[in-house]
Amino acid sequence: MAFRWSRWSPQFALAPAGGVTLVAFAGSIGWTIWMSLTRSRRFADYGINWDEWSRQYVRLLKDDIFITALKNMVVLGVGSLLAIVFGFILAAMIDREKRGEGVFRTVFLYPLAVSLIVTGLAWRWLFNPTLGVENFLHQIGLPWARFDWLNYPETAMYGIILGTVWQGSGFYMALMLSGLKSINSEIWSAARLDGVSFWRLYLEIIIPMMRFTFLTCAILLSLGVVKAYDMVYAMTNGGPGQSTWVPAYYTIDAYWQKQNLGLASAAAVVMLAITVAIFLPLVLITAWQQRRQEARAQ
Amino acid sequence: MPRVQFEKIVKTYGRVTVLKNLDLEIEDGEFVVLLGPSGCGKTTLLNLLAGLIDVSSGRIQIGGKDVTDLDPKDRGLAMVFQSYALYPTKTVRGNLKFGLAAAKLDHAEQERRIAWAAKLLQIEPLLDRKPAQLSGGQRQRVAIGRALVKQVPVFLFDEPLSNLDAKLRTETRIEIKRLHDETRSTIVYVTHDQIEAMTMATRIAIMNAGVIQQFDTPDAVYERPANLFVAGFIGAPAMNIFPATISTAGGKPSAVLKGVDSRIDLGGYAFATAPREGDSVMVGLRPEHFLAPNQTDGDVAARFSLPVQYTEKTGADATGYFRTDHGLMAVSVSPDRIGELRQGDVAALGFPHGKVHVFDAAGGQRL
Amino acid sequence: MSSIAEASLRHSRSVDETVAFPRKKKRISGRQIAILIFLTICALFFCVPLYVIVVTSLKSMDQIRQGDIFSLPWSLNFDAWVTAWDKSCSGTVCQGIKVGFVNSLEILFPSLVLSIGLSCVTGYALALWNVRWANSFLFVLFLCAFVPFQIIMVPLIMITGFMHVYGTIWGIAVVHAVLAMPILTLIFRNYYKGIPQEIMSAAMMDSGSFWRIFGEIILPMSGNIMIVVLILQITSIWNDFLIGLTYGGIGTQPMTVILANVVITALGEANYNVDMASALLTAFPPLIIYFVLGRFFVQGITAGAIKG
Repeated sequence: MAFRWSRWSPQFALAPAGGVTLVAFAGSIGWTIWMSLTRSRRFADYGINWDEWSRQYVRLLKDDIFITALKNMVVLGVGSLLAIVFGFILAAMIDREKRGEGVFRTVFLYPLAVSLIVTGLAWRWLFNPTLGVENFLHQIGLPWARFDWLNYPETAMYGIILGTVWQGSGFYMALMLSGLKSINSEIWSAARLDGVSFWRLYLEIIIPMMRFTFLTCAILLSLGVVKAYDMVYAMTNGGPGQSTWVPAYYTIDAYWQKQNLGLASAAAVVMLAITVAIFLPLVLITAWQQRRQEARAQ
Repeated sequence: MPRVQFEKIVKTYGRVTVLKNLDLEIEDGEFVVLLGPSGCGKTTLLNLLAGLIDVSSGRIQIGGKDVTDLDPKDRGLAMVFQSYALYPTKTVRGNLKFGLAAAKLDHAEQERRIAWAAKLLQIEPLLDRKPAQLSGGQRQRVAIGRALVKQVPVFLFDEPLSNLDAKLRTETRIEIKRLHDETRSTIVYVTHDQIEAMTMATRIAIMNAGVIQQFDTPDAVYERPANLFVAGFIGAPAMNIFPATISTAGGKPSAVLKGVDSRIDLGGYAFATAPREGDSVMVGLRPEHFLAPNQTDGDVAARFSLPVQYTEKTGADATGYFRTDHGLMAVSVSPDRIGELRQGDVAALGFPHGKVHVFDAAGGQRL
Repeated sequence: MSSIAEASLRHSRSVDETVAFPRKKKRISGRQIAILIFLTICALFFCVPLYVIVVTSLKSMDQIRQGDIFSLPWSLNFDAWVTAWDKSCSGTVCQGIKVGFVNSLEILFPSLVLSIGLSCVTGYALALWNVRWANSFLFVLFLCAFVPFQIIMVPLIMITGFMHVYGTIWGIAVVHAVLAMPILTLIFRNYYKGIPQEIMSAAMMDSGSFWRIFGEIILPMSGNIMIVVLILQITSIWNDFLIGLTYGGIGTQPMTVILANVVITALGEANYNVDMASALLTAFPPLIIYFVLGRFFVQGITAGAIKG
């Protein structure tokens, strides 16, 4: 067959992206997995001792700090679900009460334009025990109030959760709003005619109709949690001690501080595994739900 | 040498075969219309000719050159699309110029062609406007202009009038016919509207389910439909088709209609093969050929006595529908006389000689 | 006149004079007020951190030591801003955060060009051209969008080192381009899928050239999505910390990194007003873009997320 330029030119144009995907993503992931099986320290050591291939992983699992990091990640994930709930409530309210929608949306969304470092620093300042919110609460007559969560290992993660919820709720609100708007307006009319109560309407009708939006938010949230770094760095630097370490933190510390490439790679692979473990079921559920919806529509 | 040749074209999408071994030859200067219902494959055939999709097997030749593997721009074609497909960010002039610049014509030649096309289509005052500022009819003319400036021997039209209102449709139809006469180009035109086909085509290729049913002049397609599908497709209201059996009593062939108490005299019908007693056939009677109701004196091929089911009047035309055991018989009636037919009345209908169509009941072929 | 006519005349007169069934003017309901109050309280909650940053940056250290975090400044004191800009110390260099500002600007342009350029063309090719493996590639890109940075961090260090751009502006730009490629390509591809197929068919008949069609037809039609993507990327690049930290050298650290150094690793007593001023200055550019072009911002988020 003759050479058809229209067939080949798009393929040439896709070559850079394909190359990037192959090398920077696929190749890199493969390389890191390889490294996690080696004893590389500061530099890459490509030899794998197959008797001890899981050495780094065992080390990770035995490391209390890594376990703490994993626990923190779970805590952060669960706590961040508040952002989705909060975002939904805000969206529902804005959608119901059309007044001032533009203003409220602008206010709720601006945190997304702010760097996580800046956000973290602001919250760190707010959590300052002597000069921050705690002091304020004491002054207005609540001497027993405590807002120094970042100073204690048990409560530090909650402070980070608060900061994360503050930053993320607007985003989920925006997603929920567009999900709400896509609901056929006749549903609202029908509900009014039927006299369905406020709560029942939302719980039994609206929320189920927004399954996809919720699933999308869940996917995005879980991935954000796995990647969380900037916020932790800015708010607590991992402290007090190592009580607010998250896996991303651990990985970066293992590479730069401990100069242990093998260990860092293993931690990164664990992060990837967690991502896949969360991502796959959620996406499958989404796809399954979508197929069910399409089948029903036929 | 035919200008456009399709040889053994097969097009499949996965397990679905859209075109099966299709052959078609279009002579230079013809205005060929591909006519058929949705899904018959006419647009697919046009897109194959244009090169926008590839054949699964077969060969396409344009002007004697094998173009099956060539890109659309190398085939020497121009196309006008149903939704005009004008480039929204370019002015009219820019739209006309785009293909010429791509073909690397020099500036002077580009300007000359644009001026020529603009004059021909009367779009000179619109040259500096953007498509969003034009009306539907104007956009269509620009789309035609974009094809004209390429000055190629073959033009393709993909249902160009579908998006226009009725009045504009008639005007543009005349316009396109005029362009054909002036430029003497070969046109391949896709539509599902038989009026367009009948008024514009030199030959019509009627398609159904990926197969060309008949490829003939409009007159031939109307007067001698090759099979039941063509017979039922051409003509509005559609031809009445009834099952019947051949009787050769008395040496003269006639058809005994089932479910209608009548016998049709087929003397003088040019049978391709001699009919035999008892053959199952389908008889076609066009509504517009019936004599006026209740005036059936004289020599007719068939007489019917049928009750009126209902009537329709559309200004210039009127149709009476008569009940038979085999469905309704449509008869065109003059609007003045339609009032005389009231529901339930039995009317006498006569059908003249020479206008009957007989088809084989099994295969649908014309006998 | 008939009695009916008389009665209707009388009736029409009375309609002119009085309204037959006057309606009570609809008052704002209790529920609506409750919603508005709730939303306003939430809005205040969202404003608190920004308020605190601004206010603290304008106070003197004396006032700050008073401990009243929410109080307004006694006097508008921009000294902290000047110090932050010019003299604050990051590590051993006390050139202020303006260094970071310049660096971030320098990082911005190559990063934008690379990331948007690559994704735009890739999205165009996948959306409007017949490539057999397009769908598989899209799925792979979809997966890549979720890959955690850490797992490709070290290989990227090696790659940028191999390209001799590690530690330079272009190194950071390359990494930004790589990380943004999956999601930006998906965004562009979805946008270009919305272009009517017939326009592409017409363009193929006129000129089958990939690049000519891109430059003369598709790109001019991309205005809307370009703004959205630009805002998305500018915000993302400006606010980024980890990439700048990992791939930046001494002279190429973005503003966020310098900020972190100024505040977090400072020695001695923390100059809270200077710290807050530095944070505010770092946050300014994307915030301004947000308040001016907020509409596109929202579009960008929903575009990026819905496809994600």
